[in-house]
Amino acid sequence: MTDPKDTINIENVVASTGIGQELDLQSVAMDLEGADYDPEQFPGLVYRTQEPKSAALIFRSGKIVCTGAKSTDDVHESLEIVFDKLRELQIPVDDDPEITVQNIVTSADLGENLNLNAIAIGLGLENIEYEPEQFPGLVYRLDEPSVVALLFGSGKLVITGGKQPTDAEAAVDVIISRLSELGLLNGSF
Amino acid sequence: MSDTITTRTYSADAKSRDVRPRESERDETQQDETQVCPECSGHLVTDEEHGETICEDCGLVVEDTVVDRGPEWRAFDSAERDSKSRVGAPTTKMMHDKGLSTNIGWQNKDAYGKSLSPRQREQMQRLRTWNERFRTRDSKERNLKQALGEIDRMASALGLPENVRETASVIYRRALNDDLLPGRSIEGVATSALYASARMAGTPRSLDELEKVSRVDKMELTRTYRYIVRELKLEIKPADPEQYVPRFASELGLSDEAERQARQLLRDAKETGIHSGKSPVGLAAAAVYAAALLTNEKVTQSEVSTVADISEVTIRNRYKELLEVQDGTLLA
Repeated sequence: MTDPKDTINIENVVASTGIGQELDLQSVAMDLEGADYDPEQFPGLVYRTQEPKSAALIFRSGKIVCTGAKSTDDVHESLEIVFDKLRELQIPVDDDPEITVQNIVTSADLGENLNLNAIAIGLGLENIEYEPEQFPGLVYRLDEPSVVALLFGSGKLVITGGKQPTDAEAAVDVIISRLSELGLLNGSF
Repeated sequence: MSDTITTRTYSADAKSRDVRPRESERDETQQDETQVCPECSGHLVTDEEHGETICEDCGLVVEDTVVDRGPEWRAFDSAERDSKSRVGAPTTKMMHDKGLSTNIGWQNKDAYGKSLSPRQREQMQRLRTWNERFRTRDSKERNLKQALGEIDRMASALGLPENVRETASVIYRRALNDDLLPGRSIEGVATSALYASARMAGTPRSLDELEKVSRVDKMELTRTYRYIVRELKLEIKPADPEQYVPRFASELGLSDEAERQARQLLRDAKETGIHSGKSPVGLAAAAVYAAALLTNEKVTQSEVSTVADISEVTIRNRYKELLEVQDGTLLA
């Protein structure tokens, strides 16, 4: 049986940064090739980078949100591309603006089917949220690390709300140990 | 004239408010009294026939004149009971004032049954207006009045019994006291309180059913429901599909045998754990459908789908899974 920690895969990283000055998005949209700007639909300008693949949302206030990247390195790389593009447009950007990772979404697989009803009661109804009529997953809010895990009947899980890539590993560890304590995992780990 | 009346209602109401906490305290102390023998700490029993309380172990008579708290009159039919009883209906959480306030009748007749003169009639109308204004003094009470009315209306439409309404009212009152209402609609919170209490009482109604009788949409209902459950720490277990079976079966006119079979299918499914993450309503509908087929009773998927508010596709998918489980248990 494969270790669930090997199945951990980062699906999305969201980071924010800023260039410290207001922007005229209309003119930036004109000059920046491949930028989408439709203020009626979304107040920000969307600029997609292909290598690495991600989308940067540039706002009037000069704040930038980067989403869709698969790793923290990709976030830095694609934001560098955005900064370079902005510099080409004669917009002054600091050499190294601070980039903060806001959220990391990770998926993992426990490799066996889960009985969510039993888990819901075992983990304590006050810590979890499980409404099969509304959503097939069980929502488990962990305190340490402070992330939210969605557990599904197939044994797959999604971990969101983490700030570091290690948060996901820690969360998987906690979940496995909690479930084994309750005798709800048959696996050999 | 109207001024004196209104002040009186106000003070009477305020007094009854003061009394309430004391009453509840007394109830608690009464419960704390343990029923043990003062001599040998044995178990005490009450002999109703002789009006005595005696110790089961040593035979000590602890009390030989038990007070009969029942009515001193006898009634042989309900009309007689109505005329002899001197008390009103018990207090209920289902009314915003617990049913304690007084109403001015609408008949415009005096105590002898004679019609009032036009002048008195006008006066009574004014008094009614003021009485109504003082029954619901602040916004919270008006809010509660509306919400409890909503709860009652929806519960009637869904055929939910008294105890569920009472629980829903209590949940709503708690939500109101904990200031959970600001930012949420009265209807939304009332509907989620009813949904939660139906689940707690073991007679769940599906979200679709609630949505039909409620004035809020499903999105708002589920959001409010999750919020209420989290904030009030209601700890509601996921609904058990078996609890939906009797209702669906009787609406489809199925036999007891089919109903039993449906429950068995669901129990087998729960053992193998294929129900996790699946909607309990869908599972129940599929089990009812499968059971009807197994007992040679004629129902169509579309009939089940209308009764349970579940799409035929869901019924087919769940039905296949349920039968696979059953084949598995039969082979094993």
